[in-house]
Amino acid sequence: MVDRNTGLYSCDILTHGCSTNLVSSLSATTPILELVVHPSRKGALQEFEGPPNMDLILSYYRKSQISRLHQRVCILPKAFLHPSSVLSRPHRLVQAGKKAKSITDKHIYTITMAQQRMALWAAEEIDEDLHDVDVNLALGNYGQNGLYDDAQSRISEATLLAVQQQMVQQAAFAQIPDVVKRFIVHFHNAVLEKNLAEITVAYESGWNKLTEKYYAKTEWPEAEIIAPLVNDDQLFLILYRELYYRHVYSRLQPNIDDRFHSYENSCELFNYLLNSEGPVPLELPEQWLWDIVDEFIYQFQSFCVWRAKVKTKSDEELAMLSDGAQVWSAYSVLNVLYSLIQKSRINDYILAQQEGKSEEEIAEIVGEYGVRPLYRMLGYFSLVGLLRVHVLLGDFTLALKVMENVELNQKTPFTRVTACHVATYYYVGFCYIMLRRYPDAIRAFVSILNFILRMRQYHTRSYQYDQINKTADRMYALFAICNTLSPSRLDDNIANIVKDRYSEQIGKMSRGEEGLAAFEELFQYACPKFIAANAPPYEDPDLLAAYVDAQIGEPSTRHLALFLADVRAQTAAPTLRSFLKLYASLDAAKLAGFLDADEEEMVQQLMAAKAASRCVSRVGSEKGMLEGQMISTSDLDFVVNENMVHICESTVGRRFAGWFIRNTEHAQRVYDGLHGAPLPVPKKAAAPDAAAAPAPEAKPAPAAKKVAWGAKA
Amino acid sequence: MSSATSEWVTPPTRPELIENLVSGVDRYNPSNVSILEDYLYHQIRSQEYDCLANLAILKLYQFNGDLYNPDVVINILVKALTSVPFPDFNLSVALLDDRPPAANLDEPDPLPALLPRLTVLHSLLQQCRFPVFWELYRSDDLESLRDNYTVEVVGFEDAIREVVVRAVKATFQRIRVARLASYLSLDESEVPAYVEKLGWKVDSGVVEIPPNPDNQIESSVVQENIKLPQLTKVISHAISAA
Repeated sequence: MVDRNTGLYSCDILTHGCSTNLVSSLSATTPILELVVHPSRKGALQEFEGPPNMDLILSYYRKSQISRLHQRVCILPKAFLHPSSVLSRPHRLVQAGKKAKSITDKHIYTITMAQQRMALWAAEEIDEDLHDVDVNLALGNYGQNGLYDDAQSRISEATLLAVQQQMVQQAAFAQIPDVVKRFIVHFHNAVLEKNLAEITVAYESGWNKLTEKYYAKTEWPEAEIIAPLVNDDQLFLILYRELYYRHVYSRLQPNIDDRFHSYENSCELFNYLLNSEGPVPLELPEQWLWDIVDEFIYQFQSFCVWRAKVKTKSDEELAMLSDGAQVWSAYSVLNVLYSLIQKSRINDYILAQQEGKSEEEIAEIVGEYGVRPLYRMLGYFSLVGLLRVHVLLGDFTLALKVMENVELNQKTPFTRVTACHVATYYYVGFCYIMLRRYPDAIRAFVSILNFILRMRQYHTRSYQYDQINKTADRMYALFAICNTLSPSRLDDNIANIVKDRYSEQIGKMSRGEEGLAAFEELFQYACPKFIAANAPPYEDPDLLAAYVDAQIGEPSTRHLALFLADVRAQTAAPTLRSFLKLYASLDAAKLAGFLDADEEEMVQQLMAAKAASRCVSRVGSEKGMLEGQMISTSDLDFVVNENMVHICESTVGRRFAGWFIRNTEHAQRVYDGLHGAPLPVPKKAAAPDAAAAPAPEAKPAPAAKKVAWGAKA
Repeated sequence: MSSATSEWVTPPTRPELIENLVSGVDRYNPSNVSILEDYLYHQIRSQEYDCLANLAILKLYQFNGDLYNPDVVINILVKALTSVPFPDFNLSVALLDDRPPAANLDEPDPLPALLPRLTVLHSLLQQCRFPVFWELYRSDDLESLRDNYTVEVVGFEDAIREVVVRAVKATFQRIRVARLASYLSLDESEVPAYVEKLGWKVDSGVVEIPPNPDNQIESSVVQENIKLPQLTKVISHAISAA
């Protein structure tokens, strides 16, 4: 079949005893560009009577190096063919230029029987050239050895199906747009040459552009189909599948096969990275490495959510799930992440860096894996991945413990991958919320939200921008929650954005019990997608029925309930504070009267309010993320002396620095503008204008400057 | 400055064996669950408490449904009640994945019935509603909790009283004996002896609580503290312009 767009020719070639014929006949008239025989197919060639002389083929290949570019012949990997097929022959794809086509046509024999071919091809666009060709074609020597007859008698249904499948794959290959084929070849070369810049371009730009153009609503070609383009490079095919499935998950609806296969592919990839002899000689851009880990966890989470919905499963899915209990098990995911962390010795690396050790010392410490950027980055990303997995499973302390060596700041090299940087702060902040350490959560969110605001201008075109923005939106919501529970003045800028966005919810949240709905709304919007660690008991139909009857709730319901219990414990605090604010001292009985509450209960509420104004928080130099000091989080403090409440308030003095800095900068701009401007040409009319305009602005400049410097001292 | 949570993260009473389990990947090994469970029962007998080690048990239960032992879970939750106002109780519940009623247990699983009651007890403590807490705790409804679980936890009621003491000493400078007695669930006559151990004094029906950082209040004005980095832009510009 010839793809009209590309001129690529794909066909079946009967090869027993004729491969050499083919090659020689092809090469007699047309130089072969490349003949690739995958090692796994060498044996397959031997299966046939009169096995082709491999040396001969390879020698043609060598000769072809100096020939002109016209053909490319690939032998596909075994996986391409049905293993039980007696007709299993090396499958060839002949990419021929226009000139070559007429020659190859003569040597084509399609093994499909007529009715099969018609059934299959009727669905495809029938190529007339080929139609003409395969009516009466046979290779010269096929009749002589009689093998075909023999084979024909053994053709089974399965074989026919296999052949049919083979044809489908060829058709699929032919349908791949030329530009995509070129892209894949180019991408493959970049990976082979470890050309990070080229890989990055292909990964970040090429792939996404082609996705938009050709695969916005369908899958990319399967790895088996593009295998001939990349010399059946298994590693590249694993990487390709990684992208293939990620595309399925993000743009389409993954079915159970996709979910199982993407798991297998991830296993293959990590197996290759972790269990090869020594570190593997692969180099990938940091962004891609992050995406690999990130996607691995996302697919795990997605699978867990999907798996938990028992009722919607078809019989086939139920059968697969009962057999595949190990697929996407929490243990296997944790195993990968911990293995990457251990292999790369990332914790040792981070500690050594913090101690200021030299490059050589660090290289000694982290070993042969850890010195390689690939493993080091994967190790770090796995730390963040573990943080995320533990949060999804509801283990907030362990999540923070994993990160205990990591210093959260924006100076480490690990912040280069923005998506990772943002995810880290999101999950760390969320853990702090569940640990009721709201000031720590606020600090995390403020820090990263400011970072995102600053980065915005550089990231608008990045393909992760949407994801980062979504996470940022959720963090604004979480900030609103934290700031209600523990008001802070850490950052006016972020606080104002949040006030704009969530003014309605913020208003409700401060209204005690009736505000719980607003907390619930924001929490559900902004919380991670929690998962249950274990699958429903698919392996046992009785237990499964019991499971369905038990109406197991979603994990997020439980976490929401826990969070709301924390909120409820301090619902009385805002109202109490608003009354206390008005007094320096007040009798508890009187306060109870104002609130229309029982005096004893109100005193207990005072204790709860006091507890709510104390909180563990990191104050600076703590080592681990779980460490912290007890701090006061409220401006309003009170104490009860028998029955008299004494109140006092911390006030914040006026802030001058920002004002002076802004004005100093303004003055400097004016000064620079004046300085850089050409001297006014003394003219009668223009001169007074020019002098008058800058003068009033320039005047305060020296004064402001003086004050700004003074403020520092 | 020592961290307020360092004892919580690593209690001084934690043996090295447990420390290795809690901090390493061996915590995922199901065969270690009995070591951790034994350690929990040790905590129960000897008034020690190690939240992270107990969370490690729940983690193993989370991943290995067949290890699940409701008695252990309830004991962990009971222990966690005594750590209010720290979030241990919720952290523990967060790890209890919902599961269908276990069919393989000899007796019916007591947890589904007790968990809501424990949750109520916890929120009462969180909201400092101590008199209601004691009332509920001593009610007929919770007889099974008392008889089967808290009775085994040495010093459970005193540990709850310590929760009360933490809240009271942060809020009060002086408190009436009657009020404190209702919080502590003690007879008024028992209060003087109890508070004496804490170093508090009783004077004509009022308990005086010694000053501590939380019950001393003063108004203050927070002054702006300008740091050099805020000015670097201004300074560097001035230098480059000069």
